[in-house]
Amino acid sequence: MKHEKAVWLSQNMDRVARRDRVFLNNPVVMQGMGLAPLVVAATSGRNALMLSLAVLIMLTPTRVAASLLTRVSFSRFRALSYCLCSSAFYIAAYFALRAVFGTEMLQLGIFLPVLVVEPLIIKRYERPRGEKVSVAFKKGMRITAGYVLVLMLIGCLRELLSQGTLMGSRIYSVDFPLLPMAALPAGGFILVGILCAVWRSAVNAYKKHVNMEAKRGV
Amino acid sequence: MSEVVKACGVFFIYAVAGVFAQNAVFSRALGVSRLVKLVDDPAVDTFVFGGLLCLVQLFAAPMAYFANLKLRVFKHWAAFRPMVFVLCSMAAFLLVLFLTLGVFRDQNSKAKAIISVLPMATFNSAVMGTLLLSSIQSFSLLQAMSFALGSGVGYVLAVAVVTEGQRKLRSRAVPAAFKGLPITLLYIGILSLAIYGFIGHRPTI
Repeated sequence: MKHEKAVWLSQNMDRVARRDRVFLNNPVVMQGMGLAPLVVAATSGRNALMLSLAVLIMLTPTRVAASLLTRVSFSRFRALSYCLCSSAFYIAAYFALRAVFGTEMLQLGIFLPVLVVEPLIIKRYERPRGEKVSVAFKKGMRITAGYVLVLMLIGCLRELLSQGTLMGSRIYSVDFPLLPMAALPAGGFILVGILCAVWRSAVNAYKKHVNMEAKRGV
Repeated sequence: MSEVVKACGVFFIYAVAGVFAQNAVFSRALGVSRLVKLVDDPAVDTFVFGGLLCLVQLFAAPMAYFANLKLRVFKHWAAFRPMVFVLCSMAAFLLVLFLTLGVFRDQNSKAKAIISVLPMATFNSAVMGTLLLSSIQSFSLLQAMSFALGSGVGYVLAVAVVTEGQRKLRSRAVPAAFKGLPITLLYIGILSLAIYGFIGHRPTI
């Protein structure tokens, strides 16, 4: 890493971390958002892919539409504005998933419609200040990227551990899978917990490395 | 007389199932994102939140039941169901709001504190998940209401258990990388495994 870049990063780390929703301030790892579908429904790569598509269709448009709607609605009903927007975009997500995946989408059970009230999508209503449309769009896209990354990672890891396959293709052939528990909600909690610990350690190590690089030239 | 006893039995069984065997947090991870925030947030009283959640679920359950009964013949009902259930939750929100304003008429500050928590207790995956489960599993009105109440109590129980566990989880013996969210998730995972061992099968989602 170049010294100038390290100094700039070191001085602006908080600002950079606030903006970065993929690695430094991932919504799942740092804020614990969107855990329910991740822990229960993302048991395979295909399920994770379906959830990713739904989040892609719902998250950013909900945030943008709600940022427009909350300008004209009462503050007491801000939560309703967000939920109604997300449930409207859920209709689009439902038909898109049905067209792409067919009856396979039934594997997600209640965790597809539950996305409508998932804090990952509607939590912004808790803040009293409104949001600009451009900011809502940018943040929505960043949060979607961060969530989809974790979703795919956990989905593929759980499929590999519980079935020995990856997106349906066999990776290792043994008589018994490495960790059958990975397909259960309990296994989901434990794997997400371990992933959070590893990820947070990596973030801390990166911040430490940036500070060391910045100090080296002083 | 036997009909009344039978109805009470059904109510009790579904409520107990909602509290333990089908606990919203430990068996289906419903409302877990809110839970991990709640246990670290001293500004929100866990029992006020839990009480409001139970009331919202109890009021929303019959509305969702009748909405499902009337609208399930519609071809694309599954696509519109979340929107209808959000409106049911909103109606329950208004009922609880007026109830709170009525009960705490002379205690303005207390009423304000409770009302500030109400949106969080209304629009979360624990409430939506319970309504969806009752609808998908074709529960009767009595079953839906008892399951909603049991599910709410089960959620409060889960919050209390995790909050109590936080004391131990703040121990120095916990490695630094696991402190906070990771160790809380591992703790919930182990409790979830215990529930799985208790019921012996994975609940339908």
